[in-house]
Amino acid sequence: MRITQGQFSFLPDLTDDQIRAQIEYALGNGWALSVEFTDDPHPRNTYWEMWGLPMFDLKDAGGILYEINGCRKAYPKHYIRVTAFDSTRGWETPRMSYIVNRPPEEPGFGLVRQEAEGRKIRYTVHSYATDRPVGERY
Amino acid sequence: MADDSHPQTTETASLGELYRGSGIAEVLAQLDAELVGLAPVKQRIRETAAFLIVDKARRAQNLTSGPPSLHMCFTGNPGTGKTTVATRMADILHRLGYIRKNHLVAVTRDDLVGQYIGHTAPKTKEVLKRAMGGVLFIDEAYYLYRPENERDYGQESIEILLQVMENNREDLVVILAGYKDRMDRFFKSNPGLASRIAHHIDFPDYSVQELLEIAELMVGKMDYRLDDGARAAMAEYVARRIRQPNFANARSIRNALDRARLRQANRLFGAAATGSQAPGRDELMTITAADILASRVFRQTSAADGEAAHAPLSDR
Amino acid sequence: MPDEAKQCVTGNTDKRYQAGVIEYTKMGYWEPDYQPKDTDLICLFRITPQPGVPPEEAAAAVAGESSTATWTVVWTDRLTACETYRAKAYRVDPVPNTGPGTNTEQQYFAYITYELDLFEPGSIANLTASIIGNVFGFKAVKALRLEDMRIPVAYVKTFDGPPTGIVVERERLDKFGRPLLGATTKPKLGLSGRNYGRVVYEGLKGGLDFMKDDENINSQPFMHWRDRFLYCMEAVNRASAATGEVKGHYLNVTAATMEDIYQRAEFAKELGSVVVMIDLVIGYTAIQSMSKWARRNDVILHLHRAGHGTYTRHKNHGVSFRVISKWMRLAGVDHIHAGTIVGKLEGDPNTVQGIYNVLREPKNEVDLQRGIFFEQDWASLRKVMPVASGGIHAGQMHQLIHYLGEDVVLQFGGGTIGHPAGIQAGATANRVALEAMIQARNEGVDLWNEGPAVLEKAAKWCEPLRQALKLWKDITFNYESTDTPDFVPTETASA
Repeated sequence: MRITQGQFSFLPDLTDDQIRAQIEYALGNGWALSVEFTDDPHPRNTYWEMWGLPMFDLKDAGGILYEINGCRKAYPKHYIRVTAFDSTRGWETPRMSYIVNRPPEEPGFGLVRQEAEGRKIRYTVHSYATDRPVGERY
Repeated sequence: MADDSHPQTTETASLGELYRGSGIAEVLAQLDAELVGLAPVKQRIRETAAFLIVDKARRAQNLTSGPPSLHMCFTGNPGTGKTTVATRMADILHRLGYIRKNHLVAVTRDDLVGQYIGHTAPKTKEVLKRAMGGVLFIDEAYYLYRPENERDYGQESIEILLQVMENNREDLVVILAGYKDRMDRFFKSNPGLASRIAHHIDFPDYSVQELLEIAELMVGKMDYRLDDGARAAMAEYVARRIRQPNFANARSIRNALDRARLRQANRLFGAAATGSQAPGRDELMTITAADILASRVFRQTSAADGEAAHAPLSDR
Repeated sequence: MPDEAKQCVTGNTDKRYQAGVIEYTKMGYWEPDYQPKDTDLICLFRITPQPGVPPEEAAAAVAGESSTATWTVVWTDRLTACETYRAKAYRVDPVPNTGPGTNTEQQYFAYITYELDLFEPGSIANLTASIIGNVFGFKAVKALRLEDMRIPVAYVKTFDGPPTGIVVERERLDKFGRPLLGATTKPKLGLSGRNYGRVVYEGLKGGLDFMKDDENINSQPFMHWRDRFLYCMEAVNRASAATGEVKGHYLNVTAATMEDIYQRAEFAKELGSVVVMIDLVIGYTAIQSMSKWARRNDVILHLHRAGHGTYTRHKNHGVSFRVISKWMRLAGVDHIHAGTIVGKLEGDPNTVQGIYNVLREPKNEVDLQRGIFFEQDWASLRKVMPVASGGIHAGQMHQLIHYLGEDVVLQFGGGTIGHPAGIQAGATANRVALEAMIQARNEGVDLWNEGPAVLEKAAKWCEPLRQALKLWKDITFNYESTDTPDFVPTETASA
């Protein structure tokens, strides 16, 4: 399966030049960018690991691509995403988020159903990746 | 694409176009206007610009050359215009498309090297990332290397710097700057770095005449002027100051002028307090001989000459 | 205050309060020199006076009838600080392009201010009962429309506003930097719960973020609400597991009584739905109740504007939708259907953009071209996510983003479910078109002119999009809008 989180998951994987163009758009808006990675892409797993702090005051995408590539080198089979943070009043939240690296095989999720009272069902989305210990997932 | 049997006329035409289209002429003109003298430096800048234009034209014709190494080293004494020229160099590189953004990040050792283990790498990387897309200007770069302390973190910084200079050539142009002799020693101990610097530009000290021209340029920019007496006093001042320690070329001239402005204000204020007419536009603009001759530089040579050596700012 | 008016109001009180019928202007409802206070609520009415009624008198009458006046003088006014409670008309302007020489009767824009203490804190019901309670049936005006309203910050602060808002909704859904995508389940009537959930699953798995009940899907003989909720949540969770994304279905909890509405909302929450839906026809009080419920339960509140066309569409009578939007932002909904511009429903581009701005901006500046007459500070009230729904398809993606921006839910009902290769393909076509367009926009492409080329390029590798573009390429709804702004930018001579 292919996880379709982020802004551009329905497009073919972005090339570095395309990633750069999106970063330039964020920088043009005055947003700070951060690189995050995870081996558990559960839809409710909000806090991926930070590859360093969000990068403030950068003028060019080169610095962020440098970190993306550093993260890819360290975690070639993890999910890696770029997030752009807007600090202006009224937003103060991510304004962009897109995946720039994914494992060659994406195991995806199972749906666990627990029958409850009446006809109700309690649903749990389960990451297959987390069946294995950290460090052995991909 | 370039076919030897058919001389290409378009090539030379496109060179001219490249030159005009890039707006390099404006940058060079600006350099001429704002920097007095420095003929050899300007010549080297012109050569570098020409090289880059030709390189671009060659690449347009698919002639192999590989991306040129653009890292540079500017040597010379303080106040000889290295930072200004670096800014213009960034402008040139940007107009020719060798860097993506027209910006220059100027740093010294303190910005790159940390205080404890694990501090230096993130600090250096932070600076490198901020500079990416433009020019990183490292002033007094030799302070990065302290052979007397083998656990100095400067070496770590140099290694990261080297890596990025080599692997991210498209992202970053590094200009190292400092005194010539120290830089030469630094390169001797760091051959890896030396081998990655393709362009060396030496900035000579200014002559007395050039320094006077600089002074005129500076007062003009600040909407002041020197009267004849002041001009003569300034010539005398420069002649003396240049022989004193800590002389910093254009920077010393700026400091001297800043003090002259203070004294001028004081003079006008004192006159007003004793009931003179309020100064007119002319008087507000004019710096006189007295404003300059009150400098310690004149007193020191006549009396206590040695004092200047331990005055923190010997430009007084 | 001019002397004459002053006399009427305060000077010669004997005359003012003599029993009988006097003109509204003479009763103190017309004060041309009045300077509105920061705490005043200001309304802009479009008035078509009855023949022979001067505009000032018509404006004063509207001010009077929407505040303290009755048709005759009452002595009991004198037991109150009645000058405070009187609404005051202070300005009337002729409406451009009406009156002699045009096809339209002369109309006027009347500015009327209301003292803050006329309204109960935090109550849309009270606010609307005051402002639009009786006056719209008033004989002295032939027609009357409430065009805009400036709500003072002091009153804004008595409302909770949207329980979730754009920022928090995006954080909860983990979806940033692009419009959200939705679709209304079709056919809206007749599907059984099981069949209905199939449509929901297909749409969500294909790439939509939300599916939606239609406004009239409640609990009919063909599908009772509990069945619908259970099957829809199976579909939502299956789609979430299949894509790794948070998905949702607007479960319409609209019902006959508030007790029923709460019961349905509770059930939706128990099943884990991130969003519930209500219809505008349940009324302002019910909407505010549901807003409080949604806030208590971390559920996004979607509002369908069912019924609004009966009073918002006509240009000379009723309430403009921008005012309804302001009320709904105060009342506190998270989504509201607010027009598509390019779709099948009424929507002039400027008017719709004005409505979107009212819903989404922290502060509105005066923007006559978009029908915004007043500066409006929203005092940190959260932003409402507008929903564009009705007759739109993937081929219009560039126009939609151009007009509506990225903080909007684009709902392609027919444009998803009517896809020749199935619902999943329809959803995928829309999502690919959307992502390709956002990517291009961020890269600096001029969407208005290059948009179709961006779609064609994406269609080369995305078969569902190719099919969608082929099927719907010529579908547009070009009818003249009725609710259009009265002000057009004047051409500058220097151009």
